[in-house]
Amino acid sequence: MAHAFRRRGDGLLACRLDGEEKAIIAQVAQETADLIRTDLGVEAGTGAIRRAADSEDPLQRLEAEFAGRSAREPSDSAVSRLFPAAAEDAASADEYRRLGQQDLAEAKLADLHRVVEVLDGAGPGHGEVQVDEDDAVTMLRALNDVRIVLADRLGVQRDGDFDTVRMMQQIGEQVEGADGGEDEEHVGSDVVIAVYELLSWLQESLLRSMD
Amino acid sequence: MSPWLTTPAMSRSASASASSASPGAVDLAAAQDEARAVDGPWCTVVWNDPVNLMTYVVFVFRRHFGYSRPRAEQLMRQVHEEGRAIVSRGSRERVERDVQAMHTYGLRATFEKTGQD
Repeated sequence: MAHAFRRRGDGLLACRLDGEEKAIIAQVAQETADLIRTDLGVEAGTGAIRRAADSEDPLQRLEAEFAGRSAREPSDSAVSRLFPAAAEDAASADEYRRLGQQDLAEAKLADLHRVVEVLDGAGPGHGEVQVDEDDAVTMLRALNDVRIVLADRLGVQRDGDFDTVRMMQQIGEQVEGADGGEDEEHVGSDVVIAVYELLSWLQESLLRSMD
Repeated sequence: MSPWLTTPAMSRSASASASSASPGAVDLAAAQDEARAVDGPWCTVVWNDPVNLMTYVVFVFRRHFGYSRPRAEQLMRQVHEEGRAIVSRGSRERVERDVQAMHTYGLRATFEKTGQD
């Protein structure tokens, strides 16, 4: 069973998680990173662009500038939430996206990668996950991004939507319990709901422990 | 496990922004203690969304803007209740940086010219 974050005597923040919980959080963090990469096409070569931008060769610098201009608008609804329009007028939003999206994507990918690293580093099985202050902030941001993706997949768009989703799940369980059946589609969204709740609880507990 | 993250969303999230004007925002911002918030023609707006925890939004406002807890909580409540709140003002460069920071934290934020609402 998971135990909430608390501040240890040495100042580190620590929680206790099952092996399965660590594995599933690492997995959704990894999948969120993969989703961002695929949808925005930041697969590879960003480092190359950056190196080229600092290059002595003016032609390479020019190429880097054009590469940076092709910031792709998100097509996935969850990625759109993670990379929202920065202004209500389209021209400003486009310009902003062109100049800033790459950096934002790299920051988010670095956060998600770090969380996977911390969880992997905690080892398999039930045990303590420790973070320092910097990792705690990184973890807050990454958990939040994953929650945004999960909420999108659950169709959460307005305040109170998640409560509705949960209520429908419970009603569904009762109906299933009555006829003994359980279809696969429900099992899938049950897992998403459970992971979303675990992450919300973990994020809240981490925030509380930092106070 | 099913690859739910890579399947298309059930429904496309429209910009569920409460675009109602908030006449109180200007007064509120003018009354605040932070000098940085009243010195420019641009502002950063944070919009309500159903995912971010209230405690997290308060944490972000305190950490990024250095706001006091009461100020951060007041802004969080304004976002929650009115749908949006102006969280900083300044040059376009500064509010663009603030918006980028808010996006890094996963908050829905935009920049606009002051007085647009």
